[in-house]
Amino acid sequence: MKNTKLRFGEIILSYALKIVMIIFLIISIRKLHWEWIFGCIVAIIVSFVPTILKRNYQITLPLILDILITFALILHVGGGLLGFYDIPQYDTVTHFISSFLVAFLAFVIIYILHVYWDGLIMDKYAMAFLVVITTIAMGVVWEFNEWFTDLIFKTAEQWGYEDTLKDLFIDTIAGILMAIIGVTMIKRGSFDEMTGELGKQIDKRIIKSKREEKNE
Amino acid sequence: MSKIRKICNKQCLTFTLFLRIVMIISIIIALWRRDLVWVVGTFFGLFISILPSLIKRDAKFTLPWILDFLIALVTILHVGGRLFDYYYTIENYYLVTRFFISVLVAFIGLSMIYILDEHWDGLRMDKYAMGFVTVIFTMAVGVFLEFIKYLNVTGTYYVKTNHVLMLNLSADTVAGIIIAMIGVNLIKSGKFDKITDDFGNEIDKMVIERFEKREKKN
Repeated sequence: MKNTKLRFGEIILSYALKIVMIIFLIISIRKLHWEWIFGCIVAIIVSFVPTILKRNYQITLPLILDILITFALILHVGGGLLGFYDIPQYDTVTHFISSFLVAFLAFVIIYILHVYWDGLIMDKYAMAFLVVITTIAMGVVWEFNEWFTDLIFKTAEQWGYEDTLKDLFIDTIAGILMAIIGVTMIKRGSFDEMTGELGKQIDKRIIKSKREEKNE
Repeated sequence: MSKIRKICNKQCLTFTLFLRIVMIISIIIALWRRDLVWVVGTFFGLFISILPSLIKRDAKFTLPWILDFLIALVTILHVGGRLFDYYYTIENYYLVTRFFISVLVAFIGLSMIYILDEHWDGLRMDKYAMGFVTVIFTMAVGVFLEFIKYLNVTGTYYVKTNHVLMLNLSADTVAGIIIAMIGVNLIKSGKFDKITDDFGNEIDKMVIERFEKREKKN
């Protein structure tokens, strides 16, 4: 009963965030901000990817992942469109949410591979360690992307030495936080519950494991 | 074949010994220049480079010779750079040193993953997954090195610019990828098992077995 209520709340939140995104699109059209009109359209398409995956390919992403993707996009688009990036530490919060999303995705993938793939069996604490270093490494890849963009297009994506280090520090914190949450959820069995459906679908389509079930 | 291997091993040992002699010469030069900070620095470097041999003697450890060699090489590059100002006089010297530090980190990372995979029930990993983890481990350790530099724990002067930071992170990534590729090939051919076999067995006896016993008790 409690789980049904929670799931219903999550669905409402997911749709509410998508409505906010549509409102942002209307605002950007009214302001004739072409850059953000394009940004909003892309963000809306991305936020509907989980729905498209479910309808067309029967792949059900965890609802929390759906919410995190939409929330990260709203923060970024809203920041640019409404000038929130001028608010002190707004950029830090946005970066943290994005890193947390990356860490969450990493944990889900590692856990599913652990359950269904013969090539990976991991202790939950080893998984947590792997999630932290994956999040940091993805942060480095993101910084490479910004660095190359600046070098090639003479933009100013990277604000300087301290800002880059701050971003990497935020990635580390987000990775550690997700690792702690993930291990707690695995211990309680709720991580298995959350990723169960997605795991089965990925196994059926990609991994195609021979075993029925693999114990932790 | 075994004769060739013996000669090679002997030469590698001679080379590691040669690297240590260079380090001792570095200490003498530092004393002659009355550069006390670097006398301490070179002593510390020498201590790190002979650490594998010390561990081996006290705890019956057999470190892979590559690890022994890399520790000595990295220490010499770093200490030599400080002592002879190569960091300032030779362009991109810092990048070469950083690259070899990352090679060492990547090798340690891959060895640890491989040993845990062989001896610990808590980890079973495909060789390509090992390669991937080696790359991201090296990148993550590189980021930690940058945090330490920023905090300036050692009180040493470092060039703190975004460009240098990104070049350092690039060196980490390249070193991680190279070691991952070499490592996966060595695992495929079974050579990596030979390199880490003794070391892995010791780690298993000293750490993993104890850890697993404690876990079973709990």
